[in-house]
Amino acid sequence: MAMIDVQDLWKSFGDKEVLRGISLRVERGQTFVVLGASGSGKTVLLKHVIGLLKPDRGRVEVDGLEISRLQGRALTEARQVFGMVFQGAALFDSMTIFENVAFPLREKQRRIPFAELRGRVVESLRVVDLGEDILDSWPSQLSGGMRKRVALARALVADPKVVLYDEPTTGLDPITTDSVDDMITQAKERLGVTSMVISHDIASAFRVADRLAVLYDGRIAAQGTPDEVRRSDDAYVQRFLALWFEKQ
Amino acid sequence: MLARLKASLADFGELILFGGETFAYMARPPWRVELLVQQMAAIGVGSTFIVAVTGLFAGMVLALQGNYAMRQFGAEGYVGGFVAISLFRELGPVFTGLMVTGRSGSAITTELGTMRVTEQVDAMESMAVNPVQYLAVPRVAAAILMMPVLAVVFSATGYFGGYLIGVHVSNIPPGPFIDHTKSMVEMHDILHGLLKALIFGGVVSIIASYRGFAATGGARGVGEATTRAVVASSVAILVMDYLITFAAIG
Repeated sequence: MAMIDVQDLWKSFGDKEVLRGISLRVERGQTFVVLGASGSGKTVLLKHVIGLLKPDRGRVEVDGLEISRLQGRALTEARQVFGMVFQGAALFDSMTIFENVAFPLREKQRRIPFAELRGRVVESLRVVDLGEDILDSWPSQLSGGMRKRVALARALVADPKVVLYDEPTTGLDPITTDSVDDMITQAKERLGVTSMVISHDIASAFRVADRLAVLYDGRIAAQGTPDEVRRSDDAYVQRFLALWFEKQ
Repeated sequence: MLARLKASLADFGELILFGGETFAYMARPPWRVELLVQQMAAIGVGSTFIVAVTGLFAGMVLALQGNYAMRQFGAEGYVGGFVAISLFRELGPVFTGLMVTGRSGSAITTELGTMRVTEQVDAMESMAVNPVQYLAVPRVAAAILMMPVLAVVFSATGYFGGYLIGVHVSNIPPGPFIDHTKSMVEMHDILHGLLKALIFGGVVSIIASYRGFAATGGARGVGEATTRAVVASSVAILVMDYLITFAAIG
């Protein structure tokens, strides 16, 4: 059974059809990248996966649960399988790094002993190559790349089955982009989590993906392994990728 | 014009639903006592000084004006009762509401608005935590609990200021000043003021939280949300004040 199974997903906002029959499967332990230009509908797709939006037609199953039909408390509980890394990291700026990373754990297990909490926070930071020295720092004191790492540590700390990344490399310099890519790969290799990455960064997508889909105008223009997508004969995919390959 | 009216009504409807949702979550566990205490400190303790100073001067000016008006009828002795009734029934809750709007209401909208536009609210939701329950409930509950306390602080310091001016500047004998206060002010006057303060606490914090959650765009959007929250809260306090007073004494 696939970890994420999206079947024939349709979504409109007013007259605008944003998703037009999307189907994709993300297998367990795999990193799946959804690649597309701005406005292609990839963030809307991600919001359906985590249940922030409801489809007009079609269904989304995550770990065997039909998340597109859940509501209220059932939906809140179903979301516990996810960890999400936001585009701008979205760390709570009124909390220290320790409090940020501890947040999902504290909310999940309200009576967790402090020593255990601290141990798991430190362990989670270690997975993303950060040390204990930043525990008492504030998010504003860290660089963009470090904030992304802390965001991943926070996403991983409560042992999610699925980690969602929303444009993880947007706005980062090439060196930091590389390190964020490594971080995504390490999270998969060390913890075996399933990852879904939404991105328009072609280089980064090809580096981290086991499989990827190119989204264009609400439809999937190509889907498969990086090699299969590269060989796709779809005109849009060819044009989209050509721009990047020319640069290389 | 019609479209704007429709949009305003829809917005008002959303605000009412948001208020209902906040109260529904208030009754439902988990209750985060530490967040409530933090907010009570921020809204209550943090506002005490400014509320006390404002109250002091409001009471002092009431005594001056009261003495000026009542001296013409030789009724200076009633100034104490006049100051106390004005403060406890009217000025205490209304001024405190306006001060808390300016100080804490704006802070709530700015904080929640910034969290909204930087995706911190979405992040919270993605971690299976309801943002209304985590962020709005402690703020609204703290404002409801602390506003009556602040209104009492305002009225008490105001009465003290009124006494200082009435007795030591306007030379009203302290005996009649205090005696007429005792005979004119009754328990229901104090309860009337406390009820107003409690309602204003809820209204101000719900409007401020709602505007924060509804903020869009960047810094500018948060600024606009804060302005709208302060204006709407101030108007709401004065309208509610009239309605409550009318319902009580018609």
